[in-house]
Amino acid sequence: MRWFYNTMASVSPGLCSENALSTTQKAEEDGDTESTSSSFSSSDYNYDLEPEWLDDIQKNGELFYLELSEGEEEAALARVAASQCLSTNHVRFSEKEAEVITEQASTQRRGSRRKGEPALKKLARILGRKRRPSQRKGGKDGSRGKATSSPPASILKTQPGQQQGVTVQRRRLKEVCVYLNPKRLASSPTPLCERGGLLEALLGLVHRPAWTGGQKDRGAVLQDGRLTVHGLIPNSPAIKCGQILIGDVLLAVDDVDVSYENIERVLSCIPGPTQVTLTLETAAPADSAAPSDSSPVQKTKASPPVSQLVRLLWGEDTAELQMAIGHIPHIVMYLSLKLDSTSLQEEEEILYQYPVSEASSQLKGVRGIFLTLCDMLENVTGGHIISSSLLLGKHLVHVGYWKEHNNLLVVGLPAERVPLLSLQTVVGDVVRTLKVMYGSLNSAFCKADHALRLDHFFCLFFQQLIQPWRLRKGSPPPPDVSGSLFLDGLPAVRWLTLPPEIKMEVDTVLSDFESSDFGEMSEDFFGLRRLYVILGSCLFYKSYLIANHLPKENLLDVCLYCQHFCLLPLASEQRVGQLVIWREVFPQQRASGETAPGFSQPQGRHFLLIVGLRHFMQCVLLEAGGCASPALGSPGPDCVYVDQVKATLLQLNALEAAMEERLNVPSAPCLSCADWFLPAATTRDRLDSLASSSPVLSKLAGAIRGSPSGHRGRSLFGEKSRKSSPQRSLSDSGSEGPMDAGSGSSAAPGLSPHSTPDSGRWIGGRRDSLGSDGSGGSAGLFKMPRMKHPNPFYLGTLKKTLTARETEETYNTIKLTSGTENTLFHYVLMETVQGIFIAPTHREVAQLSGSIHPQLIRNFHHCCLSIRAAFQQSLPARGCRAADRSQRSGWGLGPVKEHGVLFQCKPENWTDQRKPAPTMTYWVIGRMLLEPVPQEFYVCFHDSVPEVPVEMAFRLSFGLGL
Amino acid sequence: MLQDGSTQLLCLTASSGVPLFTRGASKQLPFSVIGSLNGVHMFGGGQGALLSSCETEGGGKVVWKVFHDSVMLIAVSGGGSSGACSGAEMSRLQRLLENVWSCMVLVLGQDELVNLRNIERLKRDLRSCFCLIDQLLEEKHQGVLGNLTHCADSLVPPNPTPLQEALDGFAQAADSEFGCLFVHGRIVVATEKWWRLAPQEVVLLCALVRTLSASGSASCDYPVFLPQGSPTVAHRLLHFQLLPGADVCVLCGPTPSLQKAETELVGRLWSPLIETLRSCLAVGERCLPGSVPLRPDVLALLLINRETRRSVSCVQISSHHPLSDSSLSKSRCWELLELFYIFSISRYFTQDETLCGSPEESTQSSHTEDFLHGFSHQPQQCYLVTEDCKCYGFQTQQHQFFLLMLPSVPTFALRTVATQTLTDIISATAF
Repeated sequence: MRWFYNTMASVSPGLCSENALSTTQKAEEDGDTESTSSSFSSSDYNYDLEPEWLDDIQKNGELFYLELSEGEEEAALARVAASQCLSTNHVRFSEKEAEVITEQASTQRRGSRRKGEPALKKLARILGRKRRPSQRKGGKDGSRGKATSSPPASILKTQPGQQQGVTVQRRRLKEVCVYLNPKRLASSPTPLCERGGLLEALLGLVHRPAWTGGQKDRGAVLQDGRLTVHGLIPNSPAIKCGQILIGDVLLAVDDVDVSYENIERVLSCIPGPTQVTLTLETAAPADSAAPSDSSPVQKTKASPPVSQLVRLLWGEDTAELQMAIGHIPHIVMYLSLKLDSTSLQEEEEILYQYPVSEASSQLKGVRGIFLTLCDMLENVTGGHIISSSLLLGKHLVHVGYWKEHNNLLVVGLPAERVPLLSLQTVVGDVVRTLKVMYGSLNSAFCKADHALRLDHFFCLFFQQLIQPWRLRKGSPPPPDVSGSLFLDGLPAVRWLTLPPEIKMEVDTVLSDFESSDFGEMSEDFFGLRRLYVILGSCLFYKSYLIANHLPKENLLDVCLYCQHFCLLPLASEQRVGQLVIWREVFPQQRASGETAPGFSQPQGRHFLLIVGLRHFMQCVLLEAGGCASPALGSPGPDCVYVDQVKATLLQLNALEAAMEERLNVPSAPCLSCADWFLPAATTRDRLDSLASSSPVLSKLAGAIRGSPSGHRGRSLFGEKSRKSSPQRSLSDSGSEGPMDAGSGSSAAPGLSPHSTPDSGRWIGGRRDSLGSDGSGGSAGLFKMPRMKHPNPFYLGTLKKTLTARETEETYNTIKLTSGTENTLFHYVLMETVQGIFIAPTHREVAQLSGSIHPQLIRNFHHCCLSIRAAFQQSLPARGCRAADRSQRSGWGLGPVKEHGVLFQCKPENWTDQRKPAPTMTYWVIGRMLLEPVPQEFYVCFHDSVPEVPVEMAFRLSFGLGL
Repeated sequence: MLQDGSTQLLCLTASSGVPLFTRGASKQLPFSVIGSLNGVHMFGGGQGALLSSCETEGGGKVVWKVFHDSVMLIAVSGGGSSGACSGAEMSRLQRLLENVWSCMVLVLGQDELVNLRNIERLKRDLRSCFCLIDQLLEEKHQGVLGNLTHCADSLVPPNPTPLQEALDGFAQAADSEFGCLFVHGRIVVATEKWWRLAPQEVVLLCALVRTLSASGSASCDYPVFLPQGSPTVAHRLLHFQLLPGADVCVLCGPTPSLQKAETELVGRLWSPLIETLRSCLAVGERCLPGSVPLRPDVLALLLINRETRRSVSCVQISSHHPLSDSSLSKSRCWELLELFYIFSISRYFTQDETLCGSPEESTQSSHTEDFLHGFSHQPQQCYLVTEDCKCYGFQTQQHQFFLLMLPSVPTFALRTVATQTLTDIISATAF
């Protein structure tokens, strides 16, 4: 692209004049906008004429702008080329959100901002408005291109032969998908004034009108107006797709007839990055003209190159995805409990419903059940209904309920995707997301103009739950459904620990931004009241949270939003060229009014700004009102704030290498692959090959060769496992006297991974066996080591004194389990206070590969669902204390502190008939701690580990600079 | 409104929704509620959406089930009783409904229940099931887990051989192949054919014998239908009380008469064994002979033999235990054991299917265990650490074993204690 701009710098008059005009108009508008919003700085727009996302702002101020990165586009193009795609013809120009904008809307928007501006600008705007209608209409699917001079019919209906006469028999049509990004043009420093116009700039097709009919008859050429390809621009979409040949004639863009006269207009209608289908007439090679080719248009369906998720986020194509799950019963309904029996209107109690499919209509038909149950059961059992199960044919469907005032939200989901255990979490999360976005369920569902957006919202919701593999490329079924259920259901965000210097740098950059000291860009500079107060921000890198300056509840709100729109996986695969999201949000903590005494929450409005650049994504929570100026109407994103976030992200880009390094380093606890523990011959080979490449693994391989039996005699709780290694006996003796100096000294180095936790374990064991008190066992265990070295969670000061090298060494050497082998397979640690959790990075897991290991992780997550459910259900019981519990007849198992399950796995496809398949057993253990910090641990390790999991948990949390 | 922890059972005709009876809970639900509960299920059934269960905040549950398109049973639980295991509570209620249906068949026969010719008469007849149904609903029937496990609660006598011989002789003399000896409501010995009855039938017969024995009569002749073996043809259950707490019964045809069996057979065949029976009674609720050592920190245990479908359970509370804070009462231990069993079964371990009801009903019940099918690997063992106790459960090819221990037992020792206890029991009793 760059090359193209540079080479085409030679300016020629003609078509470019309109472009130049339009860009200046836009710039003026921007200037206008900014001046009313009081923070405009002219210097900002010296070269960058307008932000690409400006057109996508909706009339309510919301913005969802997503642009793919170049790498992603190229990948898409490569796929087009590979599949020889004569692809689908239903690609739309605009995303749904942009579609909402009509001419009226945009003028309204501008109108609302316009107050007493110079007459010249008015004129410019009038011109602009004149031009815009065609643009907007072009953006709409149905009426696309109607504004062009000659009403274009669909290419499919038009017989090209009518125009072409006799040549039609020798020529045939082909369709080519290309990915276009008009925003790229806007960001290019070179103004777009070449004579090729958009055809060259956007598509990369060179068309020289003069050449077509020969120089002699120029008038005929213009009449003809056929767009013959005379050349292709290097690195352009046209040449990358590899199917457009010189000599082809461009007939249509997305089924809109194009000619020399209207091509620029049609192309200028493309508002944002999208995929378009070009219809070209090509000279059929003489030898390949088979009889079957006589039909003018050959169409084959191929998979659309841009991933389904992105298309979904753009608002395209939901029908196809929705069709694929049409037979699976699922529904969301918002029902009114106030029934007006006098009204004759049918279905008036349905305030909102999605989707409309056969299976869901069956659920809709029985909504009477839901209403009746909700109404009645409260009187029977004394609590709101939360779930019910229905059998629809062969499908078991769980229905979750959420009652708000006089309305009832009903969510029906297939049981094979969402087990009953996690239904409540899923429903709770979607309700909270809606509340964050709209304030309350009522305001979300009861406004008519929200319907389209809610359709989109729930389409995403169901797609993610029912067929997540369609959204994410490279994750074929069977998907880790319970994994995403578990991890998304945790009230926490995935955290990536960083080396302290990097962490500090990141924090500094974020703090600088949050101080709102924008220099000459700030409102202060102009002596104005601030537009927004930055409440805080958090930063994601490749879907991991790396810094958070938001209170926990706000963080969870933001994270729920990101999760719902799949922004995190998006960023992790470098799909994001640029992402700008702006919307008003209603933070739930503020809504619920939980504040400290003596502090009253300022009555402000809150806005969420998310900006993503490549792998980074920053979410900023802004407050208007309070100490900033109150927000009126529905303000759109402010360019200054967006640009400041972008600047922050660009600044952080310098740290990308360090973060990549961090991601590449196997982090705190080393992991093992489950396959290594199954003594199959193939596994051994693989291990050897692995070992040759990695010294760490070679040690491990040696250990395995030394003990080839798959099922070792040692066991977690077994007596045999108590045989002490030298290390252990050392530390044991150290800890014989409780908390004596000996154990203290052995623990003092603090980072020696072998001795200290063992002492912790021992004392923990002693404590436990003494049974001093109900919860004392775990608490005591944690108190003891904390006296020796600072708590890992408050390690800040200590860690800063360490050099990077040392820290890295700790990372490398910390091994969760003791003994010669590393037997930890997977872990999740959740820190409830800060609302974060850590787990092995995706890359770490991918490195382990193996065939059993993914199964094991799926199983781990599934089991964690159960464990966490046990924890959750015992929480209310914890509320009321023993005294008043014992009076009641029964109160369940009581508060669960720890829960473990032992699994056995066998290799699949065991063919050897003579020997029984080798087995491997492993534990999945969850533990909930309330002191000193509320935490939940979930670990998965091989059966041969002779330790209590709390020790692992201890080591796990150690070395984390949270 | 239902009280916390109480369960109410509603029985209606499936087609017309006429209430047949309600049991459980001191205060009956208002008729309108019963009508709506039945109505929503019927409405859903008409629309092709079969309502099976419902859950409310605070753990309240409703479970519906229709048997043979004729009788609808609804269980409503008031909640509050299941802090840690709502899914478990659900499967408990489902099992309860199955048992109640089988009870009704046992007493009345399937024909009368399916054909529903005279509803008023059926209502009257159903009263004879009430004591049995009440026993199933009663939460405090300590020490009997058969209703849940569908495995016969057994008592392992110190010296089974003479008892077995006497029972075989007695059954033969009574012209029957099905005979069984109970002590404290648990099976001590039974004839070989008795064990071939469906496990659910064995469990229900045990329950029936318990009610008969509680009624105090020394002997009775009771017609029973076997829900699976012969749901339409009644057999005679002859029941004799040998000693208080020790009962013997046989399933037989038209002969012999109760009179004859009581006067001629019982005295002759059982009086020589009075001392042996007394020693059985002495085993008491421990269910295991004194020769089996149990660690003092074991609170309760449940051992199921998956092949013979028998189970042994016991609770040992040593009040003077130095480390126990004596906060756990005996009934609480039973409750915990029961809860832990349901918890493990509903989430991890397979419950061996007992083939009750029609095949489509069993597929329906397997739907509720969908969570179990989500595991890609087979769960083998599990443990729970709660504030009150530590629980350990595991299953092998032949056994399922559930153990409740004092919280003072270190967690890492749980597995050893559990395996050791199992080995001790098996080696001592060959259970």
